[in-house]
Amino acid sequence: MNNPHEHIIKSYDSELKRLTGEIVRMGELALAQLEAAIDVVERRDERAAQRVVDNDDALDALEQEVSQDVVRLLALRAPIAGDLRNVFAALRIAADIERIGDYAANVAKRSIPLSRVAPITAAGGLANLAELAADQLRNVLKAYDEQDAEAAYEVWKSDADLDEAYTVVFRALLTYMMEDPRNITPCTHLLFMAKNIERIGDHATNIAENVWFVVHGEPLVAPRTKRDTTASPDFDKP
Amino acid sequence: MTNMNEVASQPGFGTSPHASGVDLGQVPAKMTVRDVNFHYGDFHAIKSIAMDVPEKKVTAIIGPSGCGKSTLLRIFNRIYAIYPNLRASGEIILDGENILDPKYSLNRLRSKVGMVFQKPVPFPMTIFENVAYGIRHHEKLSRSEMESRVEQALRGAALWDEVKDKLKQSALGLSGGQQQRLCIARGIALKPEVLLLDEPTSALDPIATSRIEQLVEELKKDFTIVIVTHNMQQAARCSDMTAFMYMGELIEFDRTEKIFTKPDKKQTEDYITGRFG
Repeated sequence: MNNPHEHIIKSYDSELKRLTGEIVRMGELALAQLEAAIDVVERRDERAAQRVVDNDDALDALEQEVSQDVVRLLALRAPIAGDLRNVFAALRIAADIERIGDYAANVAKRSIPLSRVAPITAAGGLANLAELAADQLRNVLKAYDEQDAEAAYEVWKSDADLDEAYTVVFRALLTYMMEDPRNITPCTHLLFMAKNIERIGDHATNIAENVWFVVHGEPLVAPRTKRDTTASPDFDKP
Repeated sequence: MTNMNEVASQPGFGTSPHASGVDLGQVPAKMTVRDVNFHYGDFHAIKSIAMDVPEKKVTAIIGPSGCGKSTLLRIFNRIYAIYPNLRASGEIILDGENILDPKYSLNRLRSKVGMVFQKPVPFPMTIFENVAYGIRHHEKLSRSEMESRVEQALRGAALWDEVKDKLKQSALGLSGGQQQRLCIARGIALKPEVLLLDEPTSALDPIATSRIEQLVEELKKDFTIVIVTHNMQQAARCSDMTAFMYMGELIEFDRTEKIFTKPDKKQTEDYITGRFG
C-alpha cells in the first residue's frame, strides 16, 4: 500500500491488504512453478513434471479469487485515486501471473517427451534463460510488494537481456537441428520452452508497468530496446 | 472576462482534455476569484482563495464539514450580507465587474447568480406562484408572458410533466425531490448566469438525486454551475472541475477526472479516499 494513512473504515483496509496479499501469493506460487519446471527439465523427472502441470490449477483458482475480490471492492467500496489504481492493477497483474503459470506448466509438460529421448547439450541454454526470467519475476514481485516504481523500472529495462539470451538459445537450437535431423524433435520442444520462458519475461514487464502505474498514476513510457531479433527477416543473414 | 488560458499554466490548474473531450484550458472563466478572504467576526473562515470558475461547466467544491465550502458559495452571491459582523475581501470578477464591490447592487447580483439550498424551501403558495414570485420581483410581464416563463422554468427543471395539471395546488404537497426541482425552477426562472447549488441532494433519495444530477448536466448548457457537495461520488459524476478545500484554504483545484484518479496533493487523496489525514 503506497499510502501510509489508514482508511477510516478499517474493513476497507483489510480488504485491500487481502487483495495485495493474494497477488503476492500468486506471484510466489508462479515463481515456484517456474523453478520447478526448470528443475524437472534438468532432472528428466516425468512424475515431478506432471505435478507441476497439475499445480497450475491452484494459480487459476487464485486468479478467480482475485477477480471476485476486485469486483466486490469496485461494487461495494467504489475506490478512487490510489485505491482505484491498486484495485485495477491487481486485476491486471493477476492475469499476467496466471499466464506466467501457464507458461511454466507448458515448460514442464514439454519436458516429458524431452526426457524420453537422449539428452542433448543444447538444453543447457534453457536453464540460463529460466534463471533470468525467474530473477525478473522475483524482482518485480518484490517491487509490487514494496510499491517501488524504480525497482519495477529496472525489471522493465532488464527484459532486453532476456530477449538477447533467447536469441542466443534460438540460434544454438537452429544450429543443432541443421547439424543432425534427429535433433529436430527435442530441439523443437526446447524452442517452444525457450519461447515460453521469454514470454514470462514479457509478462514480468507488464507487471512492472502496472507497479509504475499504481505509484505514479501514469503509464510507464520510455524507449526500450528489443533484443529478440529472431523474428527479423534478416535473422539468418550473416 | 478573463481567458483561462492565462491561468492554465498556474500550478493546480488542469490543462489536458477532460474525458468529455472538452479542453478546460480553453474554456473562459465566468467568475474569477482573487485573494478572497472571509471573516465571521474574528474567525478567519476563508483564506486567500483564488480560482477560476469556468463558464457553462460544473464546478464542484468538496471538503470536510467546516472547511469553508458553503461559506465560499455564499460569498458568490453575497448572501452573507444579511448578517452583521461578516466581511469578505478580495475580488470576484463576474463579467468584468467585481461583485464584492458594495456598489454592485445586491438585486442585480441575485438576478445574475441564483442559489439553491440543501433543504428544499418551497414558499407556502401554489406551484405556479412559487416560480412566478421571483420573476415578478424583477420584471413586469403580462399574464401570458408569465405563464410561458413559468412553464419554461419548470421544463428547464425537468418538473413540468409532473406538475402541469396541478399548478394551482400548494407546492408543499410535492415530494422532496420535486420540491428541490421546484426550487431550481425558481432559481432559473430569473435567467441567471450562474447557479449555486448548496448540497442540493443531501435530503433526497437516490432516484430523486439522480434526477437532480441529470438536471445539472442539462442545465450546464445554459448556466455556469457551482455545486457544494458532501457526496464525493456526486462530485465525480456531475462536475467538470473539482475544488478541494480544507480549513478555509483551497488545497487543490483541477479537472474532476484528475482529482479522482491522481490528485497532486496528499491531503486531497486522503480526504477523497476516506483516510485519516
